[in-house]
Amino acid sequence: MSDPPLVVDDVSVTLGGRAVLSGVSLTAERGELVGLIGPNGAGKTTLLRAIRGGVTPTTGVVTVTSQSVSSLSAREIGRRVATVPQETELSFGFSVEQAVAMGRHAHIGRFGTPDETDQEVIADALARTSLESLADRPVTDLSGGERQRVLLARALAQATPVLLLDEPTASLDINHAIRTLETVRSVVDDGTAAVAAIHDLDLAARYCDRLILLAEGDVVAAGDPERVLTSETLDDAFDATAVVSRDEVTDTPRVTALSAESTATADEEE
Amino acid sequence: MRVRQRAVTWSLGLTTVLAVAGTLSAGIGPVSIPPATVVKILLNAVSLPAGIEVAPLSVAGTLQVPVPTLQWQSAVAYPVDSTAETIIMRVRLPRIMLAATVGFALAAAGTVMQGFFRNPMADPSIIGVSSGAAVGAVAAIVAPAAIPFGLGLRGAAFLGAVITAFVVYLIATDGGRTPVATLLLAGVAIQAFLGAVIAALQLYSGEGLRAVVHWLMGHLGNAGWDDVTITLLIVPVLFGMLLAYARDLNVLLLGEEAAAGLGVEVERTKRLLLAVSAVLTAAAVAVSGVIGFVGLIVPHMLRLVVGPDHRVLLPAAALGGASFLVITDTIARAGATEIPVGIVTAALGAPFFLYLLRSREVHTL
Repeated sequence: MSDPPLVVDDVSVTLGGRAVLSGVSLTAERGELVGLIGPNGAGKTTLLRAIRGGVTPTTGVVTVTSQSVSSLSAREIGRRVATVPQETELSFGFSVEQAVAMGRHAHIGRFGTPDETDQEVIADALARTSLESLADRPVTDLSGGERQRVLLARALAQATPVLLLDEPTASLDINHAIRTLETVRSVVDDGTAAVAAIHDLDLAARYCDRLILLAEGDVVAAGDPERVLTSETLDDAFDATAVVSRDEVTDTPRVTALSAESTATADEEE
Repeated sequence: MRVRQRAVTWSLGLTTVLAVAGTLSAGIGPVSIPPATVVKILLNAVSLPAGIEVAPLSVAGTLQVPVPTLQWQSAVAYPVDSTAETIIMRVRLPRIMLAATVGFALAAAGTVMQGFFRNPMADPSIIGVSSGAAVGAVAAIVAPAAIPFGLGLRGAAFLGAVITAFVVYLIATDGGRTPVATLLLAGVAIQAFLGAVIAALQLYSGEGLRAVVHWLMGHLGNAGWDDVTITLLIVPVLFGMLLAYARDLNVLLLGEEAAAGLGVEVERTKRLLLAVSAVLTAAAVAVSGVIGFVGLIVPHMLRLVVGPDHRVLLPAAALGGASFLVITDTIARAGATEIPVGIVTAALGAPFFLYLLRSREVHTL
């Protein structure tokens, strides 16, 4: 069996003298969506940056398709790892299609122009994100949800074995959040290895194959959503009291966070 | 494919505009020459390779080596007034060619700087190139003896510009990274400092003050074929390098983090764009003085028209800048007394730009 497309082995990152990640390991197989959960400042975004070579680990190695990221050029990384950022500057009058076509940058030579393969990949990315009808609109005219889809389409146009998503649903309403994650799920099912930082624990449990719970740069728990999302681990990581129940519709874990007061009430009733 | 077609179409269109502007401009001046005559004179000047002549060349005294040389011949020979021919070929044409080349270089560098800094206020002088050139030129006027290597005014201006850009880059670079915000601020600070140096030099310039002020305002008079040849050798090569990075510039507009994720070698690309733009600007400023507004306004005008894609915008802005400077320089020299072209570019460019700004929906940058 071949190596997983993404292997993070014992990676530590120090930024400005502060240890942001300490000895984090994870793997993502083809067709696997790994959810990164954890409180703000846990190191989720830094981990994603380390995977795409944006920060250099002080110790440990990130391996993408059997090659160490630190040994690859930006162009080589751009063909292996695509990122859907939380938000990006899309304030220039590029059309949706032009913005998505930028995903092909690492695939086109300096003096080249997009060939038929590039055009097909771009068209496919637009179709998967239902952006075809908006292809000629300037990105500046789009709503927040539509812009998020443009960023996802751009990452899909990169056609990489590894896909990273940094809070892809943070600014979306529930309808757009579900649609985005459904698209991601279908891309992953086609053989991509994906790691997504997700704040919404219920959505993470519903769409991810495995969850990794980070707190203060450490992996607190990892594995099936059912095993990671427990009252104990959440209490540990988020310093908040939460009740984990079962969602009757999706049959996945549902997390209900409680304030200190309501916990007290619940205790009294017992 | 569509992009390349658009780039070619716009380039051809704007080249035609430039050719027409140049031809009309050549007819305007103290001696008025009809455009038809101008065209005939220009056609007369076109030489075509007519054949190859092999002449024996003696090497080391005895050995005879046949050396082929190209024979040039005028394609046509229209009968034209020789005075008109001299005016066009000796005076007006070199000046028009220089205006076109300088405008081309300034607008191209301005387009790159605005994209690079993601800042609509950026122009080629933002990293101190123009101030550096001014210090070199003013020093050469005020104290020619102080300029080393017998560089002369143009050489001193060019060297001052390139050194300043390099110093600004070094100041702003830390650990292999050059944040654009730091670069911008370092450029502003160096500009202010060099402004003080220029002011001090002016104060003690005595007889040279007139020449200093004249240079600082930007001018294209006294243009000779040697200026044209030098800039024509430098500018197209540098422009070609910028054009090769047009797609990277597009991606850089998304921000550096996103650009790196899409496969752009961010720091290396920034270094190259900065160096090439600085030398391009330095070459233009060295022969023409500080001509403001071309590098700031022309890229904006063309961006409003052709959009933000640098593969189309860069050639369009460069050619637009060439036409713009040819036209404004014609106006500058058309009156009874010649006015510095820098005054005309600002006086005409600013209102026209404001008109465009109000009449079209403007996206940032």
